[in-house]
Amino acid sequence: MSRRIPWVLVVALVAMWVPWLGSRFYTFLATDIAILALFALSLNLLLGYTGLVSFGHAAYFGIGAYTSAILMKTHGVPFALSFPAAGVVAALFALVFGFFCVRLTKIYFAMLTLAFAQIVWAICFKWNDVTGGEQGLPNVPYPELGWMAAIPGLGQMRAGDHFYLLVLALVAVAVAALRRIVASPYGRMLTVIRENPERAEFIGINVRLYQLSAFTAAGFFAGLAGALFGIFNRGVFPDFAYWTKSAEVLIMTILGGMGHFWGPAVGAMVLTLLNQQITSYTEYWPLILGTILIVLLFGFRGGIVGALAGLGRRLRRR
Amino acid sequence: MHRRLLLMAASSIAVALSSGALAQGTIKVGFPMILSGPGALFGEPALKGAQMYVEEINAKGGVLGRKIQLIPRDTKGNADEAVRVARDLILRDDVQFIVGTLTSAEGPAVSTIARENKVVFIAPIPKTDQLTAPANLHPYVFRSASNTTIEGRTAAEIVAKWPVTRIATIAPDYAYGQDVTKAFVEHLKKIKPGVEIVDQQWPKLGEADYTPFINAQLGKKPEAVYSSLWGGHFVTFAKQAKPLGYFQALNNNFIGVGEAGSIESTRSMGADYPVGIWANTYDIFDWPDGPPAHKDYIARLKKFTKEETPSSWPVTGYIGMQFLVEAIAKAGSVESDKVSAALKGLAIDSPIGKLTMRAKDQQANHGQFWGRTRMDPKYPFAVLENVTRIDPAPFMD
Repeated sequence: MSRRIPWVLVVALVAMWVPWLGSRFYTFLATDIAILALFALSLNLLLGYTGLVSFGHAAYFGIGAYTSAILMKTHGVPFALSFPAAGVVAALFALVFGFFCVRLTKIYFAMLTLAFAQIVWAICFKWNDVTGGEQGLPNVPYPELGWMAAIPGLGQMRAGDHFYLLVLALVAVAVAALRRIVASPYGRMLTVIRENPERAEFIGINVRLYQLSAFTAAGFFAGLAGALFGIFNRGVFPDFAYWTKSAEVLIMTILGGMGHFWGPAVGAMVLTLLNQQITSYTEYWPLILGTILIVLLFGFRGGIVGALAGLGRRLRRR
Repeated sequence: MHRRLLLMAASSIAVALSSGALAQGTIKVGFPMILSGPGALFGEPALKGAQMYVEEINAKGGVLGRKIQLIPRDTKGNADEAVRVARDLILRDDVQFIVGTLTSAEGPAVSTIARENKVVFIAPIPKTDQLTAPANLHPYVFRSASNTTIEGRTAAEIVAKWPVTRIATIAPDYAYGQDVTKAFVEHLKKIKPGVEIVDQQWPKLGEADYTPFINAQLGKKPEAVYSSLWGGHFVTFAKQAKPLGYFQALNNNFIGVGEAGSIESTRSMGADYPVGIWANTYDIFDWPDGPPAHKDYIARLKKFTKEETPSSWPVTGYIGMQFLVEAIAKAGSVESDKVSAALKGLAIDSPIGKLTMRAKDQQANHGQFWGRTRMDPKYPFAVLENVTRIDPAPFMD
C-alpha cells in the first residue's frame, strides 16, 4: 500500500507551508528537523538496513560541513558546487575509513568507527589554518538565493525562509534517493546481510564489498546533511564531528525506530522538539529528557514508528 | 473528558496571558551559558553573578523605570546548541539583548546570530581575539571579558621584571593555548629584547600524563616558565610536576595563566598546590588593598551565594550585565543601535575598578588579578598575595 503513495512528496508538500505560519522560529525549527532527519536516515542505511552499528557517523556529517564551509567561505565557491562536493568528500573519507572498518564485526566495528571519528574531530580541532581550530569557522555565508524572490509568492520572504525551502527540496530529493536505494535489489541484499552475514557469504554475496558500499553511501548522505547544517548554523565547529553528535544521531534513529524507513526521521523530530521544549523550561533538562527517553525506549519497543505501526495493525485486525 | 480538555486548554491560555502581562514593560536579557557538564563549574557562578546584579538593579527600580528579566539557557558547551538557544531566545522569548556564552567557539557562533538579528550581544567570558578582530567585528558584538592578547601581554609585563632571561613555555596544543602563548612571547621579546625562549612544550588538551613534557622542559634548564594550562588541566599538571622537583628547579619562577590562581584551582588542590608560583584569577574574595566597592561587592556576593569563600567567576556575569544596563541608561532607550552606540567608549565603576569598553574594537580593558600564591593559615588552600590588577590599556593594540 505504502508503495503507491509517494510519501516523500506528501511530507515535503505539507512541510513546505511552514514559513507561512508567520514565525521565523518555526521555520528555524523545521529547517533543523529536516536536516537532522536526513542525517538520521543516512545512519539507518547502516544501522537498520545493513546491521552495522556505527558509533562515528558524525565524522561524515562534520567532513561535509567543513568541506562546504571551507569552499564557500574561504574560496568563495558557489553553493551549487560546494554542496555536492561536501557529499563526495564525505563519501571518499567513508570509503577509506570503511575499508578498514568492514574488516571487523560487531563491537570491534563500532569501536573502529568511533576511533576514526575522533581522528576527524582532532584534525578539525587542531588544524587552525584550515578549520579554524577550536573556534571553528563562524560566518558561513548563505547561498545566493536571490533567484527565489523572482518566484511568485516568495518575494517578500526572508533569507531564512528561502533557505528552508531550499533545504526542504534538497532533503526531499536525498530522502527519495535513499528510499530508492533500500527498495532496490541492492537494498534487499543489504537486508540479507543484516539478517545473516554468514549465509549471505555462503550464497556468493561479497559481504564486505556490499557493507563498504553501504558505508560509503551513508557517508555521502551524512555529508550532504552536514553541508546544509553548517550553513543553517551559520558556522561549523569541531563539535559537529565529536562522539556526542554520533550518539545523538544514534538515539534519534533508535528512538524513532530503525526497523522502519521513516523511523529515524520521526526520531529526529521528536528529539529536537523535546530538547527545544524541555531546555527552555528547566535547567534540569538532562534529568527530564533522560527519563522521557527511557520511558519511550521501554514503552515503544521498535521505536516510536515501530510501536505505532504495531498498534495500527492490531486495530485493523479488530 | 471533553470538558476536562477544555478546562486544561483554558487554564493554559490563562497562564500564558498572565505571564505575558507580567512580562510587559520588562527588559528581557537572554543569558546563554554552560549550565551542565564540566563547563558548568564556571558557567553556574557566572550566572549567579548576573542574577545578583539583576536583583540589585531591580530592587532600585530597574533601568528607565523598567525591570530587567534575565532568561538563562543551557548551551551545553556546544557551539551549535548555543546558536539554537540564541535563536530561540531572540525569536520565541523576544529578548532584546544577549549576555553570555563561555567557550571560544560559542562566542563567535552567537556573534553571527546577533549580527543577523541586530541584537546587542555582550560576551563576558570568551577570550579568543577572533571575536572582536576587525574581520568579525560588527556593531552588535561587545566583549567585557579579557582576551588572549591582554592575558599574554600582562604576563609578559610581569615576567619582564624578573631577573631571568632563559624562558620556556608550556601550553595545551589548540587555539587558546597557541594564541595566549604567542601574545606572551611576542610582547616579552619586544619589551625585554635580551630574553631567550629556550623551550616550548605543547601537550595535547586534556593530556593525562605530563611527565615527559616536564622532564623535557627541565632538561633545557629554563629560569622561568609561562604556562597556559587552565582549570583542571593545570591541576593535573601541577600534581605531577611538584614531586619531580619542577617548581623548585625553577625557583618558583613560574607564571600560570588561564585562572591557575582562581579559588577553583587552589581549593581543588588544597595543600598540594605549588605554593610560591605566580598565577591569575578573575576575582579574589580576600583583597586587603582593594577599594571599598570591592569589599562591599564580596560581602553582598557571600550573602547572595551563601558561600563563605565565593567563586571567582560571578564577577564575569556581573560586569557583563553592568555594561549592558549602564549602556541602556546612557542611551535612554532599548533600541539596539542606540545601546550599541552608548556602549562604545562606556566607562563603568565595576566592583574590581574602572573598566572602559573601547570604541575602537568594542573590547573592555578587563585585566585580571595577578599575584604570588601562598598558604594562608585562615584557609585550607592557597591564596594570592601582593595582588595586582594591571590595567592592560597601555599595551593593548
